[in-house]
Amino acid sequence: MHLSLKRELIYLINIKMFKFFSSSNIYFVIQRLIEFINSIFFLILLIGLTFALVLSPPDFLQGDAVRIMYVHVPSAWIGLACFSLITLLSVLNFIFKIKNFYFINKSAAPIGLLFTCLAIVTGSLWGQPTWGTWWAWDARLTSMLVLMLFYILYIVTFKFLKKEELIIKVSSIIAIVGSINLPIIKYSVEWWTTLHQPASIKITGSSSIHSEMLVPLMVMLLAFLLYAALIFLMKYKTEIIRIKKKNIKRN
Amino acid sequence: MISNFITMNGYGLYVWLSFGIVFISCAVVYLKTKKTLKKYEQEFLAELKALTLEEKNKALENSKVAQQILATSSKAN
Repeated sequence: MHLSLKRELIYLINIKMFKFFSSSNIYFVIQRLIEFINSIFFLILLIGLTFALVLSPPDFLQGDAVRIMYVHVPSAWIGLACFSLITLLSVLNFIFKIKNFYFINKSAAPIGLLFTCLAIVTGSLWGQPTWGTWWAWDARLTSMLVLMLFYILYIVTFKFLKKEELIIKVSSIIAIVGSINLPIIKYSVEWWTTLHQPASIKITGSSSIHSEMLVPLMVMLLAFLLYAALIFLMKYKTEIIRIKKKNIKRN
Repeated sequence: MISNFITMNGYGLYVWLSFGIVFISCAVVYLKTKKTLKKYEQEFLAELKALTLEEKNKALENSKVAQQILATSSKAN
């Protein structure tokens, strides 16, 4: 009974829920999405940059150095979001063995690594004028560095391991172990005394950031998200072609 | 006003360097990803062309994605 229920659940997930990803029209859908993102991306980026560099006011304490926030914060959020997605899909892949998740994770990991690195570098460039140092072994900074190392480890498994089964197992373990670091990053500024400021934007409760800074931040986040989606779709498309190429050889 | 915009009241180096690094890195990753995608598309098409007519028809019949790759690449060319 239990087994048949599980089988039914797997069937539902495979056939119904993820029909979009397994659809034979996926290649066309991806192509349309890429074209759509290309058509709006530069406009949104231009609006975001105008707000971030010209229209938004300087901070009363940090002055114009606060403008670094408009590239630093979206980068850090996307870096964290990508790893959360990778962990979630790794767990689901472990249980339900859905191969598409493996390809989604493989396509998302380099994007997460890029944005985590950018968050660290721009954070360092923000730290120098505000804290007087490029780097400190502070809880938030160190935990972000650990995240970057987990990303590198994750990507290395795809590069160096040959057997797909083994890659799925090892990369899933890395993602699940690495996910322990995610709440540490989030709460590091509350649990320890750190140089890094506490969160100004809260999903629950009131944010301490003024709308004149919040709007440009959200527009820049949208531009970064569109860019991340564009790279993801291109990488996913590459994976599809790679599989089809293998199939042609087999036939 | 323009000099204020460039110097950012003394923070120009940090602000412009941050934005510059972000956009250059993103542009490099975009171009690299696009190049890899193009390479795989061309290799796929070359392999498809190398097949005999019968094999090609069979491959296209069996794979809707192969048809779509062929269609989108011929549209792009």
